Amino acid sequence: MWRLSSVRHKAVPQGRSSEELKLKRRGHEKVLRQARKDQQLVSKRLLLSEDGDEPQTPMDANPGDQVVNLVLQLQHGGPGKEHHLKALIKTLRNPTAQTMFTKQENSMHLLVGLLSGSQAQWRLLAVHCLHELSQSHQPNVTQACLPATPYLLTYLSGQSTKFTELCLYTLGNLCPDSDVVRDKLLAQGIIPALKNCMESQRHNLAIVEAVGFTLSQLLQAKDAAETIIPMILASGLPSLLLSVLTPDPQFGLAPAIECAWCLHYLICSTMDKSSLRAEGALSRCSSLLVSLGGAVSQGNKEEGMELLVWPLLRSVGNLLSSGPTEELSSQVGDLHLLSALCALARAYHPSHPALARESIWVLNNLTADSSELCAALLDLNLVPELLQLLPCSQGINTMILRVLGNVAHKSNTFCSRLAQSGVVASLCATLRLSEPGIVVLSLEVFFMLVSGCPQAAEEFVKQNGVSLLKAVQCNGEGEIRQRAAHLLVHHLPSQHTAQ
Amino acid sequence: MSVSDQRGGDSPFSFIPQRSHLNKDHELFEDGDIYRHMYLQNLPPAETGDQPKLSVSEFGCHAWGCCQVFRSVEEYEHHYNSMHRQVCSSCRRAFPSARLLDVHIEEWHDSLFDILSQSQDMYQCLVEGCGLKFRTSKQRKDHLIQVHKYPPDFRFDQAKREPRKAVKPQRKPSGSSVEMMEGVCEDVTRAAEPHQQEEETEAMELQSPSGPGAQGPPAGPQAPETGGERPKPRFSYRVPATVCFGQGSVRGFRGRGRRK
Repeated sequence: MWRLSSVRHKAVPQGRSSEELKLKRRGHEKVLRQARKDQQLVSKRLLLSEDGDEPQTPMDANPGDQVVNLVLQLQHGGPGKEHHLKALIKTLRNPTAQTMFTKQENSMHLLVGLLSGSQAQWRLLAVHCLHELSQSHQPNVTQACLPATPYLLTYLSGQSTKFTELCLYTLGNLCPDSDVVRDKLLAQGIIPALKNCMESQRHNLAIVEAVGFTLSQLLQAKDAAETIIPMILASGLPSLLLSVLTPDPQFGLAPAIECAWCLHYLICSTMDKSSLRAEGALSRCSSLLVSLGGAVSQGNKEEGMELLVWPLLRSVGNLLSSGPTEELSSQVGDLHLLSALCALARAYHPSHPALARESIWVLNNLTADSSELCAALLDLNLVPELLQLLPCSQGINTMILRVLGNVAHKSNTFCSRLAQSGVVASLCATLRLSEPGIVVLSLEVFFMLVSGCPQAAEEFVKQNGVSLLKAVQCNGEGEIRQRAAHLLVHHLPSQHTAQ
Repeated sequence: MSVSDQRGGDSPFSFIPQRSHLNKDHELFEDGDIYRHMYLQNLPPAETGDQPKLSVSEFGCHAWGCCQVFRSVEEYEHHYNSMHRQVCSSCRRAFPSARLLDVHIEEWHDSLFDILSQSQDMYQCLVEGCGLKFRTSKQRKDHLIQVHKYPPDFRFDQAKREPRKAVKPQRKPSGSSVEMMEGVCEDVTRAAEPHQQEEETEAMELQSPSGPGAQGPPAGPQAPETGGERPKPRFSYRVPATVCFGQGSVRGFRGRGRRK
């Protein structure tokens, strides 16, 4: 299938022990989690420069002074411009240098001059400088880059891949930091520019990935729903994004990842999903999930596949969450989506339980209001698979119980079929779990089963369920006690009333 | 015909199938978002050894006051069968077998026994099949040691304290200490707290609900009986349906004997 061709982007630090790396990674993760809680989760992408320098090259002496010197030298003109520019790129990796640069008079004017000048090589080096500046999280630095943005946007319709890529990532990095920058970019026409770029460079994986990234940065803004999203929906970008989501192995994983995340941000923020549905978003995302689920169940877990599965699950889940249920199964298209979701949950629950849980969440949205899909779940013999995942915590078992409940709720026939699939024995196990929410759900599901299929009660008694239920009743909180008592009195054979 | 049609007005059940929408910032999306941003920032993915172990739900013991949790059904069943079956409804002691429970109830909570034992041999030998009866519990203990070769440092039932006031048989406060058969088997189950062993010789009035009440560990030779096949749930008739291990009854019961 695909290969995640991102060697260029990955800047893995060399020469460190794996322990050190692990610790560093955990530290980063903690920071990101806190940032997300504060709704400040912002990332920037760094492209390595052509000569393959690592970004962690130690700086000599005083980067602030260096910057000043370099700018002065560039302003004076003369030979060695290329050399100075390359040195400037390296220097601008340092945050102090970045701040110094913006404070220096006419420094941005210099860069813009080079960027818009006639020398292609200098343009490239100038955009590298801007790219380094865009890594900054200081709003005053990113705002200082504003004079350059009209040019960056203009160059998006150019032909040089490397150059266009850099422009795109620079723009993408500038987006998230401040409203001022974002508003200017929108006014300067970033959305049509992105759309044209993607359309004309549809065959170019690197460009498509870069456009996707930039768009995803715009879409994560807090106020995206009010201004940005309507503009994007009107621009024709969604159909382009969807066209990238193809299981065509020629098309790299990385562009698909970016476009899928864009779709997710679009879908979860839009109240009215009808336009997206009209574009076939649901069937497109579903069929891709089917391909991925198929690959995974054959043991082909490519590196980075989770990055694509995650946003697809969310897109499908949210597209299903509202709207008419009548055409649901035809909109979904391939009913093997149900099997794919189970396969994904099974494959990923050890390493990424959250992903497994989201997979079952989609199953819930599929089965909640559709008898047809519930029947399909039974026909495809997926219930035993789901039952095997019941021991898993972190919300997976709760979600599975909801899916079982969805099926049982529909008809007595379904209840019989569920009982034949061994659900009763599994409920006897989940009734013993310590989380009260799971016990309540188990009782609910059992109630539906036993109301629709009296044989379920016999099976339950055989599994020694009655004494279990009594213990649950005696020792549970109100909700649990009521339900257990009701079951004992109304639905189980009278042997419990002896003695 | 769907199940929902069958629900009466007084049914406590409330499950309704429901689709749900999740917003961009929903907490369920946290892990996925973090994974995505780690990728954007070129941070290396977790090594296979680094991944957290599969997280399974725990089984919690349902017995009142018992807060043990277990990773597997088997562990849980073993615990439950050892500690919470054959429970005396009056004093909440657990016994390794129904027979020992019967003997306990007879000797401790039966006023008829109190009366008869003043003039007859009422204390039965604990070994099944022996059939002998004794006038005092000490005589029985001696018999068990001498004839049946029970170890001398065995903890047998100790003398009951006089009841504080006339109460109904089932509600007689068990002010006294150790139930019998504490030390029937040295093999204490994993779930029993170690400190319990010391507490046993002292008066066990403080039946604190926080920990499991002192339990009878399974007797060695008898363990297969209780642990192996699934016996009929015998405790159900030791615990009348009206008596619940919930808060009301036992607390009230426990306090009754102690209020001055």
